[in-house]
Amino acid sequence: MKPPSLGEFEELVLLTVAAQHDEAYGVSIKESLEKQLDKTINISAIHVALKRMSEKGFVDARFGGITQDRGGRRKKFYVITAFGKQMLDRQYEIRSSLYHRIPNISFG
Amino acid sequence: MKELPPKYALRFLRWFCREDFIDEIEGDLIEVFEHQYKETPRGANWTFIWQVLLHFRPDFIKSFRDHPLIYPGMLKHNLLITYRGFMRHKSSFLINLLGLSTGLACVFIIYLWVADELSIDKFHKNDRQLYQVMQNRKIPQGIITRTLTPTPLTPALTEEIPEVAAAISISADEERPRGILSTDGKEIVTDGIYTTKNYFEAFSYDLRHGKPEQVLADKNNIVLSQALALKLFPSTTDIIGKSIEWRDRVFQVSGIFSGPPPNSTKQFDFVLNMDVMLERDEYAGMWNGDYAETYVILKEGTDVDQFNEQIGPFLKSKDPGRDRSTLFVQQYSKRYLHARFENGVQAGGRIAYVRLFSLTAFFILLIACINFMNLSTALATRKMKEIGVKKAMGAQRKSLVFQFLSEAVLMSLLSLIIALGWVALVLPQFNLLTDKSLHLNINAEHILIVLGVVISTGLIAGSYPALYLSKFKPVAVLKGVRATSSGEQWLRKGLVVFQFALSVIFIVGVLVVNRQMDYIQTKNIGFNRDHVISFERARFSGDPDVFLSELRNTPGVISVANMWNSILGGGGGQSGYSWRGEVADEDFRFKSPLISYNVVETLGMDVLAGRGFSKEHGDDDSKIVINEAALKLMAIENPIGEKIKYGDDQREIIGVIGDFHYGSIHHLVEPLIFRFARPRARNIMVRIQEGTEKSTLAKMEALYTEFHPPYPFEYTFLDEDYQQLHVAESRVATLSKYFTGLAILISCLGLLGLAAFTAEQRTKEIGIRKILGASVFGIVRLLSADFTKMVILAILLALPISYFMTKNWLAGFAYKIDLEWWYFVAAASVTFFIAWFTVGLQTLKAARVNPATSLRDE
Repeated sequence: MKPPSLGEFEELVLLTVAAQHDEAYGVSIKESLEKQLDKTINISAIHVALKRMSEKGFVDARFGGITQDRGGRRKKFYVITAFGKQMLDRQYEIRSSLYHRIPNISFG
Repeated sequence: MKELPPKYALRFLRWFCREDFIDEIEGDLIEVFEHQYKETPRGANWTFIWQVLLHFRPDFIKSFRDHPLIYPGMLKHNLLITYRGFMRHKSSFLINLLGLSTGLACVFIIYLWVADELSIDKFHKNDRQLYQVMQNRKIPQGIITRTLTPTPLTPALTEEIPEVAAAISISADEERPRGILSTDGKEIVTDGIYTTKNYFEAFSYDLRHGKPEQVLADKNNIVLSQALALKLFPSTTDIIGKSIEWRDRVFQVSGIFSGPPPNSTKQFDFVLNMDVMLERDEYAGMWNGDYAETYVILKEGTDVDQFNEQIGPFLKSKDPGRDRSTLFVQQYSKRYLHARFENGVQAGGRIAYVRLFSLTAFFILLIACINFMNLSTALATRKMKEIGVKKAMGAQRKSLVFQFLSEAVLMSLLSLIIALGWVALVLPQFNLLTDKSLHLNINAEHILIVLGVVISTGLIAGSYPALYLSKFKPVAVLKGVRATSSGEQWLRKGLVVFQFALSVIFIVGVLVVNRQMDYIQTKNIGFNRDHVISFERARFSGDPDVFLSELRNTPGVISVANMWNSILGGGGGQSGYSWRGEVADEDFRFKSPLISYNVVETLGMDVLAGRGFSKEHGDDDSKIVINEAALKLMAIENPIGEKIKYGDDQREIIGVIGDFHYGSIHHLVEPLIFRFARPRARNIMVRIQEGTEKSTLAKMEALYTEFHPPYPFEYTFLDEDYQQLHVAESRVATLSKYFTGLAILISCLGLLGLAAFTAEQRTKEIGIRKILGASVFGIVRLLSADFTKMVILAILLALPISYFMTKNWLAGFAYKIDLEWWYFVAAASVTFFIAWFTVGLQTLKAARVNPATSLRDE
């Protein structure tokens, strides 16, 4: 079986989840990403990414408590799994090794 | 105050979203919404809706497989129950199946016919803007509406009226180019049209070769239909520019078109430039004659009423002599169904039949649906236990409704299969009857419509049983108590009454329509139309007198007459006569056909005084023959030898003939003057010896082809032509017979089912009554009393309605039958006896059962 892949947007979301350890949920991820990338992001895209990644085993989820906010709906918090972290590390290695292979080009 | 996101979007989200995601998604959405709401409330609403829609994707949609209504196990169970129900109650199943399938078949056939009628002349791409210019002309009797207009109208309208994008003339039917087209060695008899250069741009006839704007550019151009081209040339490739001769004139083929489709009212095989007609007939280009049909393409957004006002006095402004004519336009594709004008006002036409048959189809299907409803509710007692148990086990009303509705839809789908079989079987006959070429073709539109009709039939038929049956209270039902509300009884009875009222109306309709048709066919129309052959002689260069006298000398021929108009056409009218008498009205318009010698004798008209035109007396156009109605109008004492004036000319009356029907029987007999025509008149009528038709016709054909090579001898019988005049009505008569038969059949099927059911329900009662000494007849009477009352009520309701409907229909005929009381009595008794027979058989069967059998159990 092929190892599960990690798309670009998924990678961004996974990074955010990792960064906001145990406090990451849909809206927080959206806001953080919007700040970082400086563009608006559809919350549906984040939900889809989160669903797929949890199916692949990159993230785990737990529900928060019921509060008066959010129309009485619980928050769903995500944490990165060990497998997810491994995936991020590999991705990072590949990218940096590729990056270091770039010869010194001057665009002066 | 807390701001709430759009209600419907939220409800939608909750409806489709998976349980395990709804918290996350709804919560996040609301959070985002609240954030945004502080800045732009409207924007927040829209974002929310948009985001809900973005979540509507397979990832988050719940699995409807687990939905209780569509759960496969349940569906299977429902199917099984339905199947068992069908098997157990075979008779009501068959009744339903037969009724519904017949109803559906009627609807499909009528749908095909109606769709075909509606499609006529609609295929032109300019359809919405394409109008025909019509002419209203004032005559003393009122206003007559004509389709013909002068040829100079086309260029004048194009130049002077800005709303006209294009105008087209097409030669009047009498002026069409006919005759022989010849190429090297080949001669084909055919007919075509003259038209203006822009014809193929305005009308969408498929041009295979040639460009629409060029094919008629030159007056020596000719455009051929594919079929005609193949007759004249070996193939249609490379024939552009080839020569064709017609009436000593050479034309060059400039285009080939695929021929008018069957749903075009204009049928023709070749097209010539209008200028050819103008050259051939010096009067054709004048304002005072009507030689053409004029069509206009109006610019988008033109107000038609305003346009009509604008062109109303157009003719008068061109030719002061035409001050009685006003012009108006009618959409071309509406002409076919809305062709009748009364006194200058649109008065229906074939559309009446389209409506009539659509209604019929609807009612027949309704009757079948009513059967289904009645039988299903009647059978409810048998289903009570099932429903009770299901409800006790926790079945929701919803799922019961679903079960019964799906049963009904399944029933109608089964009927569909049988109905399609019916249609396939009947369609060839139907085509013969209606002179159409309808066929079941499978295209998306048809499938959609058929499925739509079938499923809505199922839903309508199933709705009442479904709602009614699912309403039962489980406790009451399981105890065996069934509260039959009087409302339900009323409804069932009401439906039966409705069905039978419709049947009575149908029967009265059929009776009246068919009596009227018989009356028309057999009415003495003032001349003898039997054994008369009629044909139109082709033009030829020789002396027609020779041909006519040869024809007269043919054995088997009794007499020969010729005239310009057709004796059945009703055409031709003239005003400007004045006479010495009590009234003299120069404006009065007489019917004035042009006839030659022997017409009165050949057609066996009554001669009241004097004689008809004859060669021996050397009659010429200074003589006239009038009919009785004209004599009455002129109020002249001794008409023979009397001279009446036409302009400055004197015309001598040499004969008076009895009134006869000139044209269809829809019109009253009008005052008529026979004018004299030279023997050249080409409409020939031949009375032949009865019984010698075959040999005489063979001789006539030989003679004809000798004089008119290469024209084929094409003749008709006058009595058949007369029938053809009233073909629309006789079709209605025949079709109405069939449809009425079906309506009655379906009604009776329903009644049969109900009667069987009642009898079965009262088996025990009947048994006990018999033991106590009731006679068979007494029981039959008891059981059928209810039905008898219903049918009588239906009859009472239906008679006045049918009276008004038939009276209305007859009003369209100038000569009609009286509505006699016995039509209604006959319809009522036929319905009554059929119903009683149906019920009686069932009850008799029930009443004759040995009480020991019916009381054995328990």
